[in-house]
Amino acid sequence: MRYRKISCQITEFRAAIRLPPPSGGCTIDEDTAAELRDCCHELLFADSVRVVTVTGSGDVFATGRLRPPAEIAAAAMPDRIDWIARMGAAAAIAKLPMPTVAVLNGDATAHGLEAAMAADLRIAADTARLGMGSLPDCGFPYDGGTQRLPRLVGPGLARDMLLTGRTLSAQEALAAGLVNRVAPAEELECLAAQLAQQIESAAPVAGRYAKEAVWASGDLAIAQGLRLEADLSVILHSTEDRAEGLRSFAEKRAPQFEGR
Amino acid sequence: MSASFPTIIYEKSCGVAHVSLNRPQQLNAYSVAMRDDFAQALHAVAEDSEVGSLLITGQGRAFCAGADLSEFGTAPSQVIARNVRWQRDVWGQLLELPKPIVVAVHGYCIGSGLEIALLADVRVAAEDTVFSMPEVRLGMVPAAGGSQTLPRHAGPSRALDLLFTGRRFSAFEAMRMGLVSRTAPAQDLLGLAWGVAVRLAEVPSGLLTAMRAALRDGADLPITEALQHERRLAAATLNLDRLPETG
Repeated sequence: MRYRKISCQITEFRAAIRLPPPSGGCTIDEDTAAELRDCCHELLFADSVRVVTVTGSGDVFATGRLRPPAEIAAAAMPDRIDWIARMGAAAAIAKLPMPTVAVLNGDATAHGLEAAMAADLRIAADTARLGMGSLPDCGFPYDGGTQRLPRLVGPGLARDMLLTGRTLSAQEALAAGLVNRVAPAEELECLAAQLAQQIESAAPVAGRYAKEAVWASGDLAIAQGLRLEADLSVILHSTEDRAEGLRSFAEKRAPQFEGR
Repeated sequence: MSASFPTIIYEKSCGVAHVSLNRPQQLNAYSVAMRDDFAQALHAVAEDSEVGSLLITGQGRAFCAGADLSEFGTAPSQVIARNVRWQRDVWGQLLELPKPIVVAVHGYCIGSGLEIALLADVRVAAEDTVFSMPEVRLGMVPAAGGSQTLPRHAGPSRALDLLFTGRRFSAFEAMRMGLVSRTAPAQDLLGLAWGVAVRLAEVPSGLLTAMRAALRDGADLPITEALQHERRLAAATLNLDRLPETG
C-alpha cells in the first residue's frame, strides 16, 4: 500500500504500519489521520493478515494533538464533529479485527497515546514516556482518551493523567497495565518481531474471536458476555484450524494453521 | 461427612463444603464426567443450609491442566455443542452460587482450570503454580467464561496478551495482574485456603450472598445504578450484619 505520510508493509501474515516523525511536535495531522483511516479500512479486508504492528519513526512513537483550524473551531457543531471524526486514527485502529500491537519506540503522548491505546497490546522502549498531554496545551482528547485510559489503568490514575497531564515512565506504565512489556530501546524491535511471530503462529480465526470477546466484555453484563463467548466458541467448531489444533495436541507437535 | 463421586471428592466440615478435583493421573483435566459430578456437587452446596462456603482444590500434582481435549473436541455438531453448553451450565452455577467460593490452585492451572478459579471469590495460589491460557493456540477460544472474566480481573490488554501468546506465567505474575489475591508456599496452601473458607462460613450467609450479588452485578452497572443496587442490598441485610455471639 502506498502512502505519503505513513507506510504499511505487508509480509505474509504481518502488516507493519509506520507513523511519520512528528512535525511541530505533532505526529497525527489531518493527512496522517486520513491515511491511517484508509490503511485500516484496507486491512479490514486483508484476510491473510494475522497481526498488525504500529511503530513510530526515529525515537518517537507519536506525540501531540492537532488543534482544529480556526474556521472549524468557530464552525457549527456538526462540522466540528465531522472534523473530529476525520481525525479518528485510534477509532480506525480499534476497529481492526485481527490482533494489533503498538510498538512504542519512544514517547506516546496526547493523540499519540490515544492511538497506542487503540491497539490490543503495547510494548515500549524503556526510554518511552506516556501521557495524555496537559489540558491547556493539548486540548480535550478526541480519539478515545477519556474512555480507553480509565479502562486500561483504572479511574484513579486515569484522572490524574487526564487532569494534570502527568506523564508515566515505561516502567510505571508497565506496572499500571498501560503497556504489556518493556525492553531496552535497542532490543525493542527484536521483542516486537518475537511477539508478532508468537501471535502469527496461533490460530488466526480464534485470535480474532478472542479479541472480539475480550473487548465486548467491557460493554456486556457477564451473562451476555458468556453467551457471546459460547457462540463464538461453537462457531469455531466449524473451522479446520480447530481440528488441526486438537490433532496437533494429540500428536504432540506444533500445529499448522491455515486461517480457515 | 463426605460423598463419593467418580471424579471429585466432596467433603463437608465446619460449614465448609470442600470439592477436590480427583483425576490426578490426568492432572485433573476437566472431563465430561467431572462436569456432571461438579454440577451435582454445586447443586448440593447451594441447597445445603449447613454449608456456608465452598472450597475448591485439586488432588495430586496439579489443580487442573485444562479441559480434557480427547472429550471436548468431539461434539457431533455445532447445534449439539451449543445445546450441551447450556444444559449443564456449571459456569453459571458457580457465578450464581449464593455462597462464597475459595479456590486454591497449585502445580498446573491451565485453561479451564484458571477459568474455574476466576469464577470464584478468593483465589490463593501456591508459589510454584504455572498458569497458561492455551486455547487460541489450539484453534479455540476459552469457553468457561475466560474471555469475560480475565479482562474483568486483569484488564483487556493483559487478557489479550495471555490469550494471543498462550505463554506460561507464574503465581507472582498472576498476583501482579490481579488474577489471584494471595500466594503461599505449596505446603501452606491448603491451610491458608481452608482458614479463609472457615472464616467465610462463619459469616451470616445472607451477608455474603448479598456481597456476591453486589460485586457481580455492580461491576456491570453504571455507577449510579450500582450504588442504588448496593443500597437495596444493604437495606435487605440490615438485620444480619452481626457475627454470632461467641462463647
